[in-house]
Amino acid sequence: MPGSTFVEEIELILEDISGGGGGKHPPPDRDGGDDGSGRHRRPNPQANPSRRYATAIVLAMISIVMFFMGMVAAFIFLRSTNHNWVALRLPGIVWINTIVLIGSSAVIELARKRLGAGGTEQFRKLWTVATGLGLLFLAGQLVAWRELLTEGLHVWSTQAASFFYIFTALHGVHLTGGICALLYVGFRKFEFARVSRSAAAEVASYYWHFMDGLWIFLLLLLYLGK
Amino acid sequence: MGTYENDQGSSGATPRFLSRALFQSDHRVIGQRYLWLALGSVLAGMFLSLLMRLHVVWPDAQIPLVSLLLSRYGDPSEGYTALTLLHGSLMVFFVLTAAPQAGFGNYFLPLQIGARGLALPRLNLLSWWLTVASFVGVVASFFVSPAQGLSLWTASVALFCVGALLTSINFTVTALDFRTKGMTLPRLPLTVWAWSVNAILSMLIFSILLGACAFLLSDRFFGSHFFSPLALLSGQNGPVATKTVLSLWQRLFWFFAQSEVYVAILPCFGIVSHLLSTFARKPVWRERVAVLALCGVGVFGFCVWGQHMFTSGLNPWSPLIFSVLASSLGIPASVLVVSWFGTLWKAKLQLNTATLFALGFVALFISGGVSGIFLARRAGGGPASNDFVTGHFHLVMGVAATFALLAALFFWFPEMFGRRLHEPLGKWHFWLTFAGVNCVFLPMHWLGAMSRYGQPSGAGASVSLNGGVSALITTATLVTVAAQGLFIFNFFWTILRQQNCADRNPWLATTLEWNKPSTVDAGTADDAGVAVYRGAYEFRNVASGLDFAPQNVKQAPWEADASMNARDLHGSPQVNEPQKHQTT
Repeated sequence: MPGSTFVEEIELILEDISGGGGGKHPPPDRDGGDDGSGRHRRPNPQANPSRRYATAIVLAMISIVMFFMGMVAAFIFLRSTNHNWVALRLPGIVWINTIVLIGSSAVIELARKRLGAGGTEQFRKLWTVATGLGLLFLAGQLVAWRELLTEGLHVWSTQAASFFYIFTALHGVHLTGGICALLYVGFRKFEFARVSRSAAAEVASYYWHFMDGLWIFLLLLLYLGK
Repeated sequence: MGTYENDQGSSGATPRFLSRALFQSDHRVIGQRYLWLALGSVLAGMFLSLLMRLHVVWPDAQIPLVSLLLSRYGDPSEGYTALTLLHGSLMVFFVLTAAPQAGFGNYFLPLQIGARGLALPRLNLLSWWLTVASFVGVVASFFVSPAQGLSLWTASVALFCVGALLTSINFTVTALDFRTKGMTLPRLPLTVWAWSVNAILSMLIFSILLGACAFLLSDRFFGSHFFSPLALLSGQNGPVATKTVLSLWQRLFWFFAQSEVYVAILPCFGIVSHLLSTFARKPVWRERVAVLALCGVGVFGFCVWGQHMFTSGLNPWSPLIFSVLASSLGIPASVLVVSWFGTLWKAKLQLNTATLFALGFVALFISGGVSGIFLARRAGGGPASNDFVTGHFHLVMGVAATFALLAALFFWFPEMFGRRLHEPLGKWHFWLTFAGVNCVFLPMHWLGAMSRYGQPSGAGASVSLNGGVSALITTATLVTVAAQGLFIFNFFWTILRQQNCADRNPWLATTLEWNKPSTVDAGTADDAGVAVYRGAYEFRNVASGLDFAPQNVKQAPWEADASMNARDLHGSPQVNEPQKHQTT
């Protein structure tokens, strides 16, 4: 995970404040990482090029959480002020979809474990299965839409339906990005890449599990807030 | 002027301007492009504000091309609103948000931390083109029919959000992971702190605006019911439903807009601290506290928003909480102001154009901040105080930030273009602009205060007075806009005509962008080529020789002779300080 040296540097600042040294006059008795030989030495970024992707994906997740939380706040607001709220019966297939998505997350973890043990072929097989499960989830979401549409529930029918459609659609868009990442990790040749396959798989798996959790949250919100 | 020699010597011209292809992902090129975009937008936005002022004073005047454009809007007031929207979106998004953060940040954040570039250069290129697409969309939305225009405008703003989010993520990763050897957090220049805090803040708030845009676009294109009163109509009476829906949009939008003010001003805080320290030849006063204050502005800026978000408008306490939080933003802001004054205290200030603009920023920020206290106290005010709000908002956000941008441009111009802007012209430009904006926006405060507190009995007198003040504002606007001609002339004349300045570090600054070995430019050194040995603001009052120590120099000049007694480091400079100031 990123951030280990960041924590170290916070410690350095705290030390600095209590020591009264300040950045402008480093106390002469302490090296403070001046020439890279001190104990607070930062790792050379070149030594671990995949670190940037891990950091970036964590930041992207924070950003996505904010994106959805804004919408969730709107959901709660309209749900509580609209005295005419028409409850939405969730199509049964979304529960099956959820199990499929959780399954794909589990398979990804299994695949990464195999990759760690050196089994690239097994990894690729399992990884493909996980990607397939992701696609299956998306297809399942479309089936759920169809079910609602045959019932005559369109996006303009009720506010609850509007929220169901937009949450599933936007989650689907983000998940499609995740599927692209899975395909990239699964089928790219990593022989000449700066990033190792296991590092790329790790970053992709963070995002995938995050999408998984986000979906469960949205589903519970729609279910409990109907 | 003395300077630090680099081991490798100067390699002269760099090929950075030669390859400006579509897919050039060099952070300096992209940073400059953002600045060009901002320059175009600020000129267009200024022209629009002039049109609006003319309209206020002479509502019936026909301006040939403009009246043709506005004739498509049946109601003239709608055309005026469209002008305001275009002015606002150009200025807020493409000038105030893009220039200090994406423009200068792109160019100088990697240089100042000793990185070769941003962490994810291709993502950065994508953000740039998203911003361009958004710019084209926003401008085009003015020229199509009003209904289509609104959809186009919303979609363009959504694109801008995505671009800003990607840039923020990129900046944060770069600042976290790409600092060079020895560049610890305490040694970061304040500019880098400001850009990083700002990146984190924009990462949070642009997501919300993106969500709001998604709702709005879904309503407009797919007929969903997020902002439509129809869904509520059957159960409640019309006005209540409309009000609920409006308040949802307002809330979502203000979550963003309230913090957006700080997103625009935060990098300016960093730039001004940096410049004042460099030109006062003194370390930033209480640098650590100033850093904390920068973080504080970020946190408070976000909380104002959060408080606004989670206390619903129906809660009678929310205006109070909101107002307390808005006032508490004054704490980190005043800490920064005190730090600026502390830096300036007894300093031998070099009064060049960049310093003048930085000081202008401080002056405008303080006067705008004082009026802000009234706004926070009154918790919203009524429509009667519109002029007051306009004056306050423009003084703090628009004009102050523009002053910081101009200061940064005058300061970094030698690094970006290899030559210096003309100083006397720059000073004329500064004084005319400073006088002009004060004549424009301070009277607006009077107008607002008069319409709010004026006695109804003296209505006739106040109308004629209002007319006089309005005419004054419009005249001042004309003068201020005309004064920008000086700057435009200075800018292009310098780029086209002036000789290259030989000095790599003309301001004798300490940070890496002025002191990097030239091999970093030529691309032969690796990322770890520069090592940092000291803090960002090591200026020392010395009798002779160099009074500054660049971050990448192992031994400061005053350390050379004082090295036998390291304990004197803290004591000795203060000894000759009083003598020096008696002479100044």
